[in-house]
Amino acid sequence: MFKKSHPLQSKSEIILRNIVVIAMVIFFTVFLIIPIGIAFAGSFHEWNPLSGTYNFLGLKNYIDVFSSGLFWTSMLNTLIFSVVVIIFRVGLGLGIAYAIYSSLVKYKSFFRAVYYMPVVTPMVAVAFVWKFMYNPQIGTINQIFGLDINWLMNPKTALLAVMIMTIWKDFGYAVVMYMAGLYSLPTDALEAAKVDGANAWQTFRYITLPLLKPMTLFVVITSIISYIQAYVQILIMTEGGPGTTTYLASYIIYDEAFVKYNFGYASALSFVLFVITAVFTWLSFRVSGSQE
Amino acid sequence: MKRKISSIALNVILILLGVVTVYPFIWMVCSSFKQNSEIMALEQHLLPQTFIIDNYINMNNRFNFLRFFANSLFVTLAITLLVVYTSTICGFVLSKYKFKGRNLLFGFVLATMMIPWCVTIIPKYTMIQEFGWMDSYKALIIPAMFSGFGIFNMKQHIATLPDEILEAARIDGADEFYIFHRIVLPMAKNGISSIAIFQFLWAWEDYLWPYLVINTQEKQLLAVGLKMFNGQYSTDYGALFAATAISIIPVLIIYLVFQKQFIAGIAASAVKG
Amino acid sequence: MMKKITAMMLMTSLAVSSLAGCGSGSASGENSAAVEVPTEPFGDTIKYDPSVEINDGKDITVELWEWGSDDLFQQAIDGYTAIHPNVTIKLVNNPWEDYWTKLPLALSGENGPAIFNVHNSYHENLINYMAPLEIPLEDLQADFTGVDAHVIDGEVYYIDYGMMTGTVYYNKDMWTAAGLTEADIPKTWDEMREVAKKLTIKDGDKLIQAGLNFNDDFHQNYLLGLNYQLGENLFQEDGKTPNVNSDAMKQVMQMLVDMYEVDGIGSKDFGEKGADSFGQGQSAMVIQWGHYYNTLQTTWSNINFGVFEIPTFDGNPYAYNRYNGESTFGVNKNAPADQQAVAQDFIKYFLANDEIQIAFNLAMSTFPAKKSLAGNEQILANPSLAVLAEHIDHYIWPGSMPSTMETSLKKAGQDIFFNGVDIDTALNEAQENIIRDMQNSTFTSVENLYKYAK
Repeated sequence: MFKKSHPLQSKSEIILRNIVVIAMVIFFTVFLIIPIGIAFAGSFHEWNPLSGTYNFLGLKNYIDVFSSGLFWTSMLNTLIFSVVVIIFRVGLGLGIAYAIYSSLVKYKSFFRAVYYMPVVTPMVAVAFVWKFMYNPQIGTINQIFGLDINWLMNPKTALLAVMIMTIWKDFGYAVVMYMAGLYSLPTDALEAAKVDGANAWQTFRYITLPLLKPMTLFVVITSIISYIQAYVQILIMTEGGPGTTTYLASYIIYDEAFVKYNFGYASALSFVLFVITAVFTWLSFRVSGSQE
Repeated sequence: MKRKISSIALNVILILLGVVTVYPFIWMVCSSFKQNSEIMALEQHLLPQTFIIDNYINMNNRFNFLRFFANSLFVTLAITLLVVYTSTICGFVLSKYKFKGRNLLFGFVLATMMIPWCVTIIPKYTMIQEFGWMDSYKALIIPAMFSGFGIFNMKQHIATLPDEILEAARIDGADEFYIFHRIVLPMAKNGISSIAIFQFLWAWEDYLWPYLVINTQEKQLLAVGLKMFNGQYSTDYGALFAATAISIIPVLIIYLVFQKQFIAGIAASAVKG
Repeated sequence: MMKKITAMMLMTSLAVSSLAGCGSGSASGENSAAVEVPTEPFGDTIKYDPSVEINDGKDITVELWEWGSDDLFQQAIDGYTAIHPNVTIKLVNNPWEDYWTKLPLALSGENGPAIFNVHNSYHENLINYMAPLEIPLEDLQADFTGVDAHVIDGEVYYIDYGMMTGTVYYNKDMWTAAGLTEADIPKTWDEMREVAKKLTIKDGDKLIQAGLNFNDDFHQNYLLGLNYQLGENLFQEDGKTPNVNSDAMKQVMQMLVDMYEVDGIGSKDFGEKGADSFGQGQSAMVIQWGHYYNTLQTTWSNINFGVFEIPTFDGNPYAYNRYNGESTFGVNKNAPADQQAVAQDFIKYFLANDEIQIAFNLAMSTFPAKKSLAGNEQILANPSLAVLAEHIDHYIWPGSMPSTMETSLKKAGQDIFFNGVDIDTALNEAQENIIRDMQNSTFTSVENLYKYAK
């Protein structure tokens, strides 16, 4: 099997390879495998680093997780949140990128930069600004649209409001990713379509879109991973309220781990979340694979 | 004619969306020149009615912007340079060398990308304490040295470099270290710049980890420093917005300067994944 | 390309580091106000003798962590280091929330601060790291009120320098505009609701001015405290089981709901936060704790406000309200012995020095726990403290309640107001949540130490 690459392995190749492989293995063992092991063990314990408790509980933390109403509320919220935000992120990102890419728009790098601004702004600050914009009395949104909605405190709109803010912050990322995807498309395929008399929509639907599929998959997967872990916007904008209507799974973990110091329970929650992330990631690979 | 109309329509839509995107920033920048009572006043005006620059001037009392900025820049650059180097060399080894366990190792690297922060952050925190790295940049930089995302992307990218060039160098008697540093590294520049920008932005915005491990005020980073304005009983919004406004400027500049390479880099690696 | 990046990065980092250098250089030279150095011992029962050297006169540096106003703490430090020039106290400020994440973690390590500011709501996270105060218990009891509640196995780890509680803030202009006078100041909740109706302005159904606003703070300022007026504690007799679904709590909750929904003197959607709404000149009355006095002075300086004592149900309450202490510093028991000695000495200085006690109490708008300061002119000049003076012994401190008491009741209230949950269900759920969150807690209520406890 070595022959495919090149027949002779030089001494320097072996040295370089060994250094790199060993460094990787050590690094990932120390900063990933060992922590995961500790967290996994911890998830079976009552673990509070402040009081120094570390008592074996068996499956109790996991049982508590699954029997907690808040957990299920938050999972449902996380699901709604992730799906909606990802759909809009991908849709807006693709649409806008295609518009900028088209020959109809001139100041391409201007638009690219504008849409990317929210991406590079810290979430903490963005969340505060939007909290003001959503204010029922003095908020820009109610004033511009002449509405009288208590966005962040109405159970019907609170999660929606957080999602809108997140879409606003993140769609620019998808725009740039799709721009990159579009620039690397093989021009001959597009030319061929033109020659065959395909209209703009047909070219987009049957040529461009399928060619962009790896990029879509990339955006979707990175989004799943990051949205399942989102909590800062909740922490600042709603603290999970009103009641428990906007609890997201990661917010509970943050709350349990670094507010209540229930490391054991928080670890159990993390593992449940990890398994769910893995399943969804695997599903998106499957879905995209099955179309081919 | 039809083309012209659709061009105008498209531009108008993009500009409208642009306004929606930018408006919160304009609001924030305007608010940074207002007193807190005006920011929260019932009568809202976009432009400050009493124009003050105190938020910027007084900011340094609690928020040593230049200090935080220098710290963030140092840590972020260190992480970015290290990750770029480790990702490229790992990507090179994983894509151009064939050896036993290679696919296993690569699969493992892929899997690391899926692990949420919350799984490892608690044990990592206790480990950092054991190592005695608390309150030092070691705690920020060393655990971030290798990136699954970076390795994955550089592997994809370097795989597209033609083997012939490497072979030619080998025939000329170059050893692998020379080949990597003098041939692969320069040729992978697009991939490198996309990884660099991603990593730069992530490290720049990272909040929870520096917040947990850095205690001394003088060592704190910008993203964490922004929370200084959130007090026990109230938040100093004017100062927060002023600080945010000046903190995002450097990142915007970096993005503006390198956006071409950034996009080319993503195009070169991610799409072919 | 790589060269370009490297060059640019180097340039920026160079520029920035040189700028940062200038910045910190110019900032440090300012604090040189002359401090008067006392030479004679001062204090009431707890005396501080400035002539006693600390650390044998050798140089020593300790860290002091706090979350509040640097100037206030620096004032105390400057006074102390003027007496002991060999001591350097390094102030480390963290914003409120960060402080409570980081301090316990820092204390569990080796290089935690020797002195740190304490807030009793985080008692459980800190107490394991604290060394007892060396000042004799009797001395503390002689000089300060509320010391008993802080005694753990005969030792005291920190006490309160001030007591914070709620009072009613009203907008004097609105008061006059509604034709009300000083004589209309309500004593009971029924009177309060009548006054609030007069202060409410509506345009059809639309609220223009709220008579009373408790949005976002009803849990702290009403639910956790008014129960005492009805003679019901927050914890059951074992001191561990919460009592938040008691009839008293339901009555208070019902009153809040009725105020908005029957009286229409405010609305859950009118003003995101009661405190801000009052400052915006949108709401005529709010019940707020002492710190609000300072907010009004700084942020909302154009509001012409007055303060009166919290109303009661029948004029003769079991207690008026809950209070919470602002605590003195804690000493890190894992700090080196010489640093701990400085910390202990600094706390003694802090407690004995009236000027500092007054400054801290005024800064937080807390009523001094130091007995000799109860009638102090400077203190009584603050209206939010003056109205407390008469009944200050009729306030109860339940102990350092776990934060779940607040968060669970806030959730319950939000469920009632916004999610249409009925009062019984919401409070029962809060009760269950609190029990679950407290299952590993060592908290025991000190409500039984109330002077007039039944």
